[in-house]
Amino acid sequence: MRNKRLFILMIGLILFIALMGFTLGRTRLTWPEKFLSDAFGTVQGTLYRPVGAVADFFRDLGRLSDVYKENEQLKQTVAQYTQDQIRFNLLEAENKQLKEDLHFTEEQKKMDKYRYLVAQVVGSTSNPYEKTITINLGSRAGIKPEMAVRTVDGLVGLVSKVKTFTSTVTLITDLDPSSSKGTPVSATFLGKPESFGIIEYDDVTGTLQMTKIDERDKPADGDKVITSGIGSLFPKGIIIGEVKSSQVGDFGLTYTAIIKPAAKFDHLREVMVIVVPEVKEP
Amino acid sequence: MNMRINRVILFAMFLVVIENSVFPWLVPSAWSERLLPHLCFIMTLYVAGFTGRHKAFMFGLGFGLLQDILAYGHLIGPYGFGMGLLGYMAGLASEYRNFTIGFFVWVVLIGGVLLDTIVYLIYKLFQITELQYAYAFYWQIAPTALLQLLIALLLYVPVRRFLVKQSLSSGEEGSE
Repeated sequence: MRNKRLFILMIGLILFIALMGFTLGRTRLTWPEKFLSDAFGTVQGTLYRPVGAVADFFRDLGRLSDVYKENEQLKQTVAQYTQDQIRFNLLEAENKQLKEDLHFTEEQKKMDKYRYLVAQVVGSTSNPYEKTITINLGSRAGIKPEMAVRTVDGLVGLVSKVKTFTSTVTLITDLDPSSSKGTPVSATFLGKPESFGIIEYDDVTGTLQMTKIDERDKPADGDKVITSGIGSLFPKGIIIGEVKSSQVGDFGLTYTAIIKPAAKFDHLREVMVIVVPEVKEP
Repeated sequence: MNMRINRVILFAMFLVVIENSVFPWLVPSAWSERLLPHLCFIMTLYVAGFTGRHKAFMFGLGFGLLQDILAYGHLIGPYGFGMGLLGYMAGLASEYRNFTIGFFVWVVLIGGVLLDTIVYLIYKLFQITELQYAYAFYWQIAPTALLQLLIALLLYVPVRRFLVKQSLSSGEEGSE
């Protein structure tokens, strides 16, 4: 009798290891998975959003005293923004003219024009090792796997699984390239286009790190970090965060910067999926 | 003692929705990576205590897999495996002891720790997490197990009242 139980346990273990190995790193889903996720995702959405609105309301009440200071800051930012807008318009016109002169193709010109699909978050999970959120857009709305996802503040993650009406987004805190299923996020400093580094997430301290920074590009505190778009899935120019502190890296040849993320990764309500114009393969 | 298994399943589905949509908002930001209770697992333990090991096994397996599919990012199966196994073990344990609340407290605590340990080991095996066990225990497993205990105790009265068939008065009290 005892032997029979052990035997069944062993078979169960083998079956489950096989299942996990089979589902590891797969992007296509079968219809039962899609159906279940869509059904629960839709129902969750009807609860997640109202509850989120109420929770945010109470959180805002708690922050009411900061509003005055925040308003002051915003006024300054707007003043700076109008200045920048004028400069930007001039530069854009010039840039367009130069592209004309250099005979850029239509595709190359459109490379930087991203389309944003606004999605509502309809749920997050209680699994500590799969930090995913569910959004209410799926393949019907044109979502494809491995599209980048951001909030108004900054980069959040990557679409990992697409269902018909919902999709799953893996957060960048879960894309650590040192783990077996990670995706490297290549980053650069705003204003220093040659700089390059790779974003990692440190589970223990809960911060993002930018590693492998060349020693010529010594990071300064407060530098803005954006995606570089080189050799990775993320389109360029999405803000990731700003440098909090930096130190010399593991072998003394590179720098490592600790980054304060621009976006929050919990209590998300609304995200934007970035649709990059498709480049036709020759 | 027996349970109204249809109602239990409905209630557990409701709990899945609550767990993924309402619970994240109740936990403050600083604790959102530390308190991740599995409400269906608590129901699995109730099923184990009130009906027996085979039903608990099926229940845990089903809802574990459902949870895995909803959270699918890397792999499917850790919770299916863990909840199925622990449902069976809890059912086995409750066949030797009387089902008292003192006993159940221990089942929820130890079960919660074991479930998260199994899940941790699976992710460690596939090299998806790099955390040390001692850190994971302190950071997530222990607080989650304590919170699960609290939720289980809060659910105790409603579960007994609405989901368990009393042996004699098996009438339709409070039917839909």
